[in-house]
Amino acid sequence: MQPSSITSDLAPSVPAVCEHCGDAIGPAPVFDDGRAFCCSGCKTVYEILSQHDLCEYYRYDKNAGVTMKRRSEHQDEYAVLDDPAVSKKVLTFASAHFDRVVWTVPSIHCASCVWLLERFDRLEPGVLASTVDILRKRVTIDFDPRRTSLREIAECMASIGYAPLLRLEGEVRPEYRSSRNLYARIGIAGFAAGNTMMMYLAQYFAGSGGVERPLLIAFRFLSVVLSIPVFFYCAFPWFQGARAALRGKKINLDVPVALGIAVLFARSVVDIATGHGEGFLDSFNGLVFFLLIGRLFQQKAFDALSFDRTYRSFFPLSVRLRTAEGFTTVPIERIEIGSLLSVRNGEVIPCDSVLESESGYIDYSFVTGESVPVECTKGETVYAGGRVIGRALDAIAVRAVSHSALAAMWDRSSHADEVRSPDDRGHRYLKLQDAFGQWFTVVAMAVACAGAALWLPDWATAFNIFTAVLIVACPCALTLAAPITLGSAMGRLGTLGIYLKNTGVLLELEAIDEVVFDKTGTLTAPEPQLEFVGPRLAADAWDAISSIASHSTHPVSRTIAMGAIRDGIRTGDGEVSFLEEEIGKGIVGTSRGHRVAIGSQDFIRSRCRTIDLDIPAGSTAVAIDGEFAGVFRLTTTLRPGIRALIESLRKKIPVQLLSGDSDRDRALFVPLFGDENMAFECRPEEKLERVRHEQQRGRSVLMVGDGLNDAGAMKEAAAAIAVTDDTGTLVPACDVIMRAPSLPRLAGLLTYARTMKHVIEVNFIFSILYNAVGISLAMAGKLSPMAAAILMPVSSLTVLAISVTGARTFLRTVV
Amino acid sequence: MNIVLLLILSSVIAAAAFLIAFLWATATGQYDDVHTPALRVLFEDEQPDTQSNLNHGT
Repeated sequence: MQPSSITSDLAPSVPAVCEHCGDAIGPAPVFDDGRAFCCSGCKTVYEILSQHDLCEYYRYDKNAGVTMKRRSEHQDEYAVLDDPAVSKKVLTFASAHFDRVVWTVPSIHCASCVWLLERFDRLEPGVLASTVDILRKRVTIDFDPRRTSLREIAECMASIGYAPLLRLEGEVRPEYRSSRNLYARIGIAGFAAGNTMMMYLAQYFAGSGGVERPLLIAFRFLSVVLSIPVFFYCAFPWFQGARAALRGKKINLDVPVALGIAVLFARSVVDIATGHGEGFLDSFNGLVFFLLIGRLFQQKAFDALSFDRTYRSFFPLSVRLRTAEGFTTVPIERIEIGSLLSVRNGEVIPCDSVLESESGYIDYSFVTGESVPVECTKGETVYAGGRVIGRALDAIAVRAVSHSALAAMWDRSSHADEVRSPDDRGHRYLKLQDAFGQWFTVVAMAVACAGAALWLPDWATAFNIFTAVLIVACPCALTLAAPITLGSAMGRLGTLGIYLKNTGVLLELEAIDEVVFDKTGTLTAPEPQLEFVGPRLAADAWDAISSIASHSTHPVSRTIAMGAIRDGIRTGDGEVSFLEEEIGKGIVGTSRGHRVAIGSQDFIRSRCRTIDLDIPAGSTAVAIDGEFAGVFRLTTTLRPGIRALIESLRKKIPVQLLSGDSDRDRALFVPLFGDENMAFECRPEEKLERVRHEQQRGRSVLMVGDGLNDAGAMKEAAAAIAVTDDTGTLVPACDVIMRAPSLPRLAGLLTYARTMKHVIEVNFIFSILYNAVGISLAMAGKLSPMAAAILMPVSSLTVLAISVTGARTFLRTVV
Repeated sequence: MNIVLLLILSSVIAAAAFLIAFLWATATGQYDDVHTPALRVLFEDEQPDTQSNLNHGT
């Protein structure tokens, strides 16, 4: 928070930060119980907690609270939860006396949050138990529906700053199954590998020691028993992958791996059953174990961030309909064409409608990127995705939800997915692997056949050579190289506030040769700075201005009011005695003994004694007691570090700016991008077209954006980064989520991606070397089980070591 | 030498018992969230004296 330029005399004892949320306290702190708070919202939360003896909350993390300054203002946001149709979707389990709900709460961030939310039963009677999953920002609440309701719980959570995220399509159930399966597979494979290795030691030293033959045979059969679950359960993913590839008449890397595993197991079983030898079961189990470890690296996704949110998750669950009897709340799928909707301040219009109210303001920043709200009058069409600002609007639905403009936009952009599924964004990486897989399978088969042919007509030896080559050619280390390198790189980047969707994304970033920025919120500081130009005003005049501005529904007035609150200028709600608003022009009122007028040029002129005023067009002017006082200007500033970032990027690759905003901030960006690389007032379709055009020219475009309005372009681009100030907010279809303070690291990230590709290449070279040694041994008929048992784990361990240390070291030096 | 076989068998069975315990832990979700329990352990026991709760952060 920027401290305001208006200072007042502060007592030195006032702490610098709010007791509750840790934000800087402005010159007008709110006191309670001897503690200072930045705003009355934070104070209220403190009071709620202290009433319930929950102040221990503040012990685990200092100033743990969630600031209440940005809280949405309308109270019955959660009224929809009273609708049985809605609550049925939201509840994970429902019965007469026990309901369970799993909610995502974006503001969960620290130990104190866990402490408080797990003691939620004390705040809300009827709650039986609550459990927090901090990484996924989820809270599971069990409650007694006879004593409380979903709505009451949600409202109580919102009142202490932990507003749950409501979704249209019900809560996303925790997807734990696949990771549970992987852990189980690793456990079983590790168990089998350890035990078979122990038993095989006896086999290898049988010659020198006095191990009796019956004992050796017993060990062999025991090893087979241990390996059976590994073959049928642990190695299953590779068989599945290979089968899927072969069905599609393709060969991927799973094919040679599956082939190697199968041959290894079959040959070992045959050897043991015929008494021919001890087989390779220790290598087999170790191999599967290492392969699974590689999978673990690959699967290490960041659960804290959900990448799959679509526009639907920010659409409202339901809407209020105005009927003859009053208001009814219906889920949005049940909106019929012709229904009269009543949409309140801050709510999103669910479907295209025609305005029935006289006038109102709608913020289309989600749709167009333009952040200045639009004024609409009766009879105009208002579009889905617009957010109502100020007074509630009545509108008649003209299209059903799924056919609205925003949904159409979404469907059109997802058309491109027929060519490229968004989930396969790591396609470059998959391609690389598949190409290797094909090449590998062909070469291995050819070498195996050739080796076998050399020994013909000695069929037994030929069979041994053939299988030995296939065993040793199993590209285990090759399979591990990419996932482990990229997986550990991904984990490392997470510590810097850069979250990748999957491991393949890094290779997409590696190939980037053009960067396109979206200005809104990506490069600029999140909140516009409110600047007052004029002579210095007394504190009570400020109070009067902000009190009156807060009564207006005009967006600029609200920004003035909010800005004043944020900067701590406003001390409280000043009483407003006379108030008159001319919609779209200005507002006049009396507060603290001052008659204040805020409004447009003409509005102020008509209310000032001085006629000849120099008010810049388009600004908002203020007059106090009939005298012109000054002008408010909303200015945008760049985020720190952006200048250096753009400069370093432009040295290497072309950088463009495609903004949905009007060009009022053009001057700010000209020195950065150069005039020819900028475009303003781009509609989402235009952004998409431009990105597509660049891609068709053979460029790999990286799209850096923040809003839903970029979703089409983001899907079209080779890679997309969403910049967010708060990981709880909506994230469009993207491959990387970056916390805003990490954005200056973007240039380093691109270099890092390139370095990681080199690390993988080094790994490939090593694993091919190991394979060459193994194959030559096998061709000579000298691949003993012991040689395989040494060679295979050593190659896997080499790859593991190179990958992990590479990802660590380069992160420190490059990013 | 039969005693060695017995020894090996019993050790494998003991190890298998641990494996089963691990599989049970996985199946009942004990590995689903490994972060929050690490924080929970920091919480002190509830103090019945509310005044001492209020006098935090000195």
